[in-house]
Amino acid sequence: MSTGWSLWVMFLVVLNMGITFFLYLWGPRAKIPTLPDGTSGHVWAHGVLREGVRKLPLWWVLFSGAMFVIGFVYLALFPGFGSFKGLLGWTSHGELAHNVAVNEATLAPLMERFKLYPVEQLASDPAAQQMGKVLFEDNCAACHQRSAKGNVALGAPDLSDGDWLYGGSGSDITTSIHDGRSGVMPPWASLGADNVKNLAQYVLSLSGAPHDAAKAAAGQPLFATCAACHGADGKGNPALGAPNLTDKVWLHGSSVADIEKSIGEGRQGHMPAWSPRLSDEQIRVVAAYVYHLSHPADESRQ
Amino acid sequence: MAYKHFEAIEKHAGLLAIGIAIMVSLGGLAEITPLFVEAHKLEAPPGVHPYDPLRLAGKDVYVREGCYLCHSQMIRALRFETERYGHFSTAAESVYDRPFQWGSKRTGPDLARVGGKYSDDWQRMHLLDPRQVVPESNMPAYPWLAGKKLDAADIQARMRTLRKLGDPYSDADIAGAPAAVEGKTEMDALVAYLQGLGIKNEPDATSVPASTGGAP
Repeated sequence: MSTGWSLWVMFLVVLNMGITFFLYLWGPRAKIPTLPDGTSGHVWAHGVLREGVRKLPLWWVLFSGAMFVIGFVYLALFPGFGSFKGLLGWTSHGELAHNVAVNEATLAPLMERFKLYPVEQLASDPAAQQMGKVLFEDNCAACHQRSAKGNVALGAPDLSDGDWLYGGSGSDITTSIHDGRSGVMPPWASLGADNVKNLAQYVLSLSGAPHDAAKAAAGQPLFATCAACHGADGKGNPALGAPNLTDKVWLHGSSVADIEKSIGEGRQGHMPAWSPRLSDEQIRVVAAYVYHLSHPADESRQ
Repeated sequence: MAYKHFEAIEKHAGLLAIGIAIMVSLGGLAEITPLFVEAHKLEAPPGVHPYDPLRLAGKDVYVREGCYLCHSQMIRALRFETERYGHFSTAAESVYDRPFQWGSKRTGPDLARVGGKYSDDWQRMHLLDPRQVVPESNMPAYPWLAGKKLDAADIQARMRTLRKLGDPYSDADIAGAPAAVEGKTEMDALVAYLQGLGIKNEPDATSVPASTGGAP
C-alpha cells in the first residue's frame, strides 16, 4: 500500500475510534435536563411514549471499555493500522507456510517409510492405501469413478480388473500417472463400410464372442493393417497402449455397433499428466493404491 | 447537548439515513477505496495474457451461464485449499477478467486451476451430461452449447471494447479472430476457456513472498 493510502487508512481509523471513544467518555458525564416527572421531556406518539433518564449500567460500561482495549491491542499486534505490519508480523502467507510445514513434518515419518518399498509392496501398506484412496477420489475418480471401474462412455479404463493398456507393474502405473497417456486409434472408414463390418466380426471372433463366421473370415486378411499396433495375434502392445483384443475387456464397449464405431471412426483417449499437480511421493502413493485394487491377494499376505 | 438536537435525527428518517450512511461508509472508505484504486494499477505478471478469441468467447459463455454461482475461481491461502487446488490465487492473475470470477460460493469445486486436470473429451461429456462422468454430480447439463456456433463479429466487438478498457489487443489480434473461431461452437469455446484456467497463469514462486502453498 502506498504511503498516501496508508495515511488515509490511519486517518479513518483514528477518526472512527476517536469519535466512538469520545462518545464513550462523554456519554456518562453528559448533563441531560430532567423534568420533574423524571423524564427528559423527549416524547413520541403524542406523549404516549416518554424517554426516561437512567445512568448507563455498569456491565455495559465495562463491556464497552473492554471492546476498546481489544481493538487497540488488535491494531498493535496485527496488520490493520495503515501499512503498519503489527508487532506479531502475522501474514496469511506466513500462516499458510507454517501450516504446510507442520503438516509436512507430521507426514515426514510416513513418507520416509513409503520410500523404503517399491510400489508393489507399498500397495499392501494400509496407511498408503488410505492416503492413496483420498488422492484417488480427489484426482482420478472424475474419469475412473470412485470404484475405479472406469467409464466406457469416456474410454477411461477399469483399474480394478488386472488388465492394463500400458503395463501393470508399479513403475508402469507410476509413469502413467506422472506423465499421462495419450492413446490414438486412427479411423479406418477409408477401408469401406463392408470391410469395417467384416473386421468388427473378426475382432469379435478373437475373444471368442458370438460373431458371423463368414464375415469374420472375410475380415481376417484386413487385420494385417491392425496388426501393426495390436499384434498379428491381436494381443495388443503395452508400449503403444494398443489393447489386447483377445480378452473380454472392452475399453469403448463390446457391442457390434461400438466395435464398428471404434474401427470406422477411431478412438482417442487422453489421460492428463499429474506431475504438475501431485508430488512424486503422492504419485507413488496413488500408484500403490491403484496397484492394490487389482491385487487384493497381496493384502492377505501381510 | 440537549435532547432537541437528537430529536431532529430521531424524527426525520432521511436525516437518520444520511447519518448512518456516513458512519457505515467509514469502513468502506478504509477497506474498499484504497484496494479499488490499487487494483487498477496492477500489471499482468509474465505468463498472463489477454484471452485469445476462442477463450474470450468461452469466458463470456461461462459468465452468461452463471457458472460463477456454483464455482469460485479463488484458491484461498489455506492449506486444505492449496493441497487440493494448487497455489493460492493472486490478484494479478485476474487482470484480464472482466468481471473477475473469484466468487465466494462453492457448490462445485474451485476452478481457478482446473485447466489440464481433465481431458477435452471429459469436459465436453461433463457439460453435455455431468452424470455421465460423475454419477453423484448435481450440476445441470448444458447441451445447447454444442449446437450454437460462435459469431466472429460479436467477438471482435468484444475485443475492441476490451481494448478501449486497456487490454493490449493488437489490430492483428482482432483481425485474426474470425479465423480462430471459424466453425467453433460455444461448447468448444467454454472447453478452451476451462482448459486454459490456471496452468499458464501460475504465479512465479519467486514473486510471491513467503509462498509455500504446496505443489502448484
